[in-house]
Amino acid sequence: MREIIATVLENKKIAEETYSLTFACDEAVKVRAGQFVMVGINGFPLRRPIAVCKAEGERVTVCYRLKGEGTRRLASSYSRGEKLSVLLPLGNGFYVGEKEKRVALVGGGVGIFPLVSVIRAYAESKEIYSYMGFRNKAAICMQFEMQRGKELTIATDDGSVGYRGTSVQAFMENIDRVKPDVVLSCGPTPMLRALKSAMSGRNIPTYVSLEERMGCGIGACLVCVCDLTDGKHARVCKDGPVFEIGEVIL
Amino acid sequence: MTDLRVTICGVELKNPVIPASGAFGFGREFHELYDISVLGAVCTKGLTPEPRLGNPVPRIAESSGVILNAVGLQNPGVEHFIEHDLAWLKGKTRVIANVAGRDVEDYGKICARLDGLVDFIELNISCPNVKCGGMALGVRPESVENVTRVAKSALKSTPLIVKLSPNAESVSANARAAEQGGADCVSLVNTFTGMAIDIERRRPVLANNTGGVSGAGIKPIAVRMVYEVSRAVKIPVIGMGGIACAEDAVEFLMAGASAVQVGTQNFTDALACPKIIEGLAAWCESHGVEKVSDLVGTVKMN
Repeated sequence: MREIIATVLENKKIAEETYSLTFACDEAVKVRAGQFVMVGINGFPLRRPIAVCKAEGERVTVCYRLKGEGTRRLASSYSRGEKLSVLLPLGNGFYVGEKEKRVALVGGGVGIFPLVSVIRAYAESKEIYSYMGFRNKAAICMQFEMQRGKELTIATDDGSVGYRGTSVQAFMENIDRVKPDVVLSCGPTPMLRALKSAMSGRNIPTYVSLEERMGCGIGACLVCVCDLTDGKHARVCKDGPVFEIGEVIL
Repeated sequence: MTDLRVTICGVELKNPVIPASGAFGFGREFHELYDISVLGAVCTKGLTPEPRLGNPVPRIAESSGVILNAVGLQNPGVEHFIEHDLAWLKGKTRVIANVAGRDVEDYGKICARLDGLVDFIELNISCPNVKCGGMALGVRPESVENVTRVAKSALKSTPLIVKLSPNAESVSANARAAEQGGADCVSLVNTFTGMAIDIERRRPVLANNTGGVSGAGIKPIAVRMVYEVSRAVKIPVIGMGGIACAEDAVEFLMAGASAVQVGTQNFTDALACPKIIEGLAAWCESHGVEKVSDLVGTVKMN
């Protein structure tokens, strides 16, 4: 983990209200699939936690949706050549074990981006079946990256592209054919909740990446906690963001 | 070379810069980013006799130039701290244990437990985010004096800092009450109670509805309060509230603080504290100040 003053290489719109930001660090950085970055935005006291989509050498790409003033400032003020303060790599990330050959990815909204980093990391060594949900056609992005897995199903809420419905529904219609050894997921909490109830009793290891408002991003301030089934709290930024689905209360 | 050392209640700190309680955990995470032994001291996350889970999330919000937090004193309990973190932290720098409790007896109990084990105890009677204890004890002079007296009587060797709330009728009156109750030092300001509303949902952003406001936006109010309190009491004052750079720290020292704490800026810039220490040395150097302690309380009113 380091604080780096990076240089913006590209910050472009890739879908409705969605941007892809690529920056160069001062040297090569090691980022695991599912880890995230705290991005500093001038004039805002809090950094924004954003999942890494791609990391290659010193170049890192993160994708974000316009949600408030901070992300709008990020989109409008950080063009090529601007300096950007980043803290990385953060969090535990996704891990796929040796024995797990068939990997199912279930993503929704901005939750698809950390899963794209899983495809990049494991496309060669694993069979990846992706179920990615979007609001509508205008929100779809990263199709080329997502197609690098074995199979890709796109789901849209309005049915304008692909499966009409949620990515969880699309996945559950295929689960008995795909027979995944492990399921990795990221998306809005209602989606993760639906996945949790759909997976209960199936005995397939399932991991979810959680989102929460963060303070420090490194585990010190105890702002971004989640409830665990054993009654304790875990820090989303440091103990997560990836948790075994049975271990967290969603 | 500027002499950055300061002495508070007979305890020497290598410099006057201290990460504030709650922003820094017990230092382990920030130690992954830089060697925390450069710090004058570390002020721990608020400790209670028993472990606490704190408030529901969201626990943080942002507004122009400030943040709001409502963590609600989540901590692993004082015994866990003593067993797992204290020795490690003492090996790095001076340790200020920030403590809180549900009632006055709790404060006495936790002070007795930590007496002689840490360099300072900071009494948190100003947390705005918990229902019992916390700020309830810190708003009126009589209760400030009472809880201070109970804490002080539980301490044989460790100096007692009382952390004051700005959410009071008179912070100076509370500072005098703390001094009267036996405090060796006061620190201020804790956070201001505030609220931020998500206008789309027509609900407060924080699950707790209200939270403590901190960050650059509160600095002028904090400077004024530190100035007033430092003139109201004879015991030393530790200043904080929106310090983001070395120049801000100088302002607090001139207002009357013997040392400063840095909270929110650790989130904005994880390397804030070491940068402020370096900047402080450079500022003193360029202004012909030989000892940083020479700056304390030197502001002249117009």
